[in-house]
Amino acid sequence: MKFLLTSITLLSLCVTLRAQETPAVKPATDGRVWGALIFATNDAAQLTGGREQPPPNLPKLNERLGKVFPFKHFEILGQHQQDIFREFESWVVPSQDLFLKIDSKGPADQGGVNLHLQVWREQQVLVKSDAVLRAGSPLFIGGPAWKSGRLIFVLSLDRK
Amino acid sequence: MKPPSEDHDLIRWLDGEMNATEHAAFETRLKTDPALANEAQVLRALSVGIRSHLPADMTVPHADFFNSQIQVRIGQLEIDNERAQATAAPGDLLRWLRQPWLTAAGAVALAVLGLVLLRPIAETSANSFILSSYTPKIGVQAHAFHDEAADATVLMLDGLDAIPADRKVSGIHVKHSETEPQLAATTLYDVAGGRLLMISRDATGLPLIWSNSPRG
Amino acid sequence: MPAAAAPDPGEVPDIDLVKRAQTGDTRAFDTLVTRYRGRIYAMTYHLIQNDTEAWDLAQEAFIKAWRALPNFKHDAGFYTWLYRIAHNVSYDWLRKKKTQGDGEFDDERTEHRIAVGAEATPKGDPAPDTAMRNAELGQRIQTAIANLSTDHRQVIILREVEGLAYEEIAALVPCSLGTVMSRLFYARKKLQEQLKDVYETTL
Repeated sequence: MKFLLTSITLLSLCVTLRAQETPAVKPATDGRVWGALIFATNDAAQLTGGREQPPPNLPKLNERLGKVFPFKHFEILGQHQQDIFREFESWVVPSQDLFLKIDSKGPADQGGVNLHLQVWREQQVLVKSDAVLRAGSPLFIGGPAWKSGRLIFVLSLDRK
Repeated sequence: MKPPSEDHDLIRWLDGEMNATEHAAFETRLKTDPALANEAQVLRALSVGIRSHLPADMTVPHADFFNSQIQVRIGQLEIDNERAQATAAPGDLLRWLRQPWLTAAGAVALAVLGLVLLRPIAETSANSFILSSYTPKIGVQAHAFHDEAADATVLMLDGLDAIPADRKVSGIHVKHSETEPQLAATTLYDVAGGRLLMISRDATGLPLIWSNSPRG
Repeated sequence: MPAAAAPDPGEVPDIDLVKRAQTGDTRAFDTLVTRYRGRIYAMTYHLIQNDTEAWDLAQEAFIKAWRALPNFKHDAGFYTWLYRIAHNVSYDWLRKKKTQGDGEFDDERTEHRIAVGAEATPKGDPAPDTAMRNAELGQRIQTAIANLSTDHRQVIILREVEGLAYEEIAALVPCSLGTVMSRLFYARKKLQEQLKDVYETTL
C-alpha cells in the first residue's frame, strides 16, 4: 500500500513537472552574421600572435582589407557569429572594446537584410547607420587608431 | 485605504476633468478636509514642476542632418519601390499558369521559371550599401563607399579618438549566444561552451557588460 | 488630440503641404519635418529618456509618416496624425527593448545606472543660486520620470507635457478611462515619493 501511494505520488510529481515545462521557443531570425575585430598594422612586432581565422565564406579577407586600408598585416583579435533576431536587438561582440548592436528591419528587396547598426566603443556609440547587408558583400568599418595601426570591424552576412 | 474613486476625484479635479457641479462639490470638500487639501496642493505643485521642466518642444540636435537623412531615406524608399514594381510577375502569365489543363506542365514551367528568375537575381544581386549614417560625437565623420577591388562596402569613421597604445585591446571567440528576451540580456559562450560574458542594457539604454575575466 | 500651433501668417498651411507631399513632393514634406521635428523629438525624448535613441525614433516616425501619406485622409489634422505615429513608434520601441525589470522605482537599478554613467554625471557642490537649483530640480524630475514604468511614464507625458484630455489619452494608449486615471494617480504618487524633499519643504 505504502509502495503504491509512493509510486502514485512520484508519478503525479513527474506529470506536474512535465506539464510545467514550457517548450523553448526560438525567436524568429532574419539571417546570421559574422563579426570580427581586426587589428591592422605595418609593424609585425605589434601583432598579438593570435590564430583566429575568418570563415570559409570570406575568402582572401586580408587581401581585400589591404585594398582599402593602407596596412600590410591584418590580425583577427576576436570573432562572433550571431543570429539577427527579428524582434530583439542582436549584439555582435568580438571584443569588449568595439562591438555592434544590430536591429533587423526585415528582409531587403533583391536579397539581404535591412539593418540598423550601432558601433559602440564601451559606453559611447560611434556611429549609427541604416544599411542593407547582402551575403558575399561584407562591410568594413574603419575604427579608431591603436598603436601604430587601426582597428577595423568586419561584418558579413552568411548565405542561407 | 481610500477607494479608487476618491483618488480619481482628486486627479480629475487637478486635471480639470470635472464638470461644474463636481468641481464645486470637490472644492467644498477641500475646505473641510485639511489632509485632502494638502495632498491636492502637493500634487498641483508637482504638476507645475513637471510642466515647467519637460518642454513640449525641444531643439533637435544636428537638425539639418536630421532633415537630410530623412530625405536620403525617402529617396531610397522610392528607388526600392521602383525596383519592386519592375520585377513583379505579369498578371497574364499567372492567369495562364492557373489553367487546369496546364497543371502538370504548369508545375514544370514554374520550376523552370523559378530557376530562370533566380539566376538573374543571383548574378545581379546588389552589393551591401549604407543608407545613412549619424555620428553623435562632434568631430567624427562617417563616409561610405563601395570598393570594387575589395568587393566590400566600407564605412570609414574619421576623427575618432585613438585608443592609447598601452591599452590592452583583446578579442574573444564567441561560438554561440543565448538571449533572454524578458531580461533583454544575451550571454555569450566560447568554443568549449564556457561563458564569456553577458551583455544587457541599463535603464538609459547604455550597454552593460559582465565579464568573467578582468580586462587589461 | 495635441493641437498643432497655428501657422504664422505667410506660412503655407499644413493641408497644402500634405497634399503636395502626397503627390511625391519631398520638399513639401521637408517643410513639415522642419515644422514639427521639435515637438516630435520632445515627445520621443520624454517617453524613452535617451537623446540619441529619441533622435532615431523621431526620424523613424517621419519616415513612417511619409510611407503612410497615401492613407492620410485629412479628417484629422496632420500633426495629430503624425503625433500618433510617433507615439506608437516610441511605445513599440520601449516594448521591444524592455529595460530590465521594467518596474517602478528600483533602487538597485538606479544605483547601478549612476555608477555606469559616473564619468558623464557632473559632480559638483550644491547649487549656489536659483538657476542652478532649478536646473538640478529639472534633472531630478527627469530622473524620477525615467524611473517610472513605461505605462506610467506614458500617461504622465501625455497629460502633463502634451496636455491631452483623459479621453484622448485613453484613445491613444489605448485603455479605459479608469485605467488612465489609476495610472495617472499612481504615477504622480510615485513621483511625489521620489521628490518629497523638494515639495514638502515648499509648502
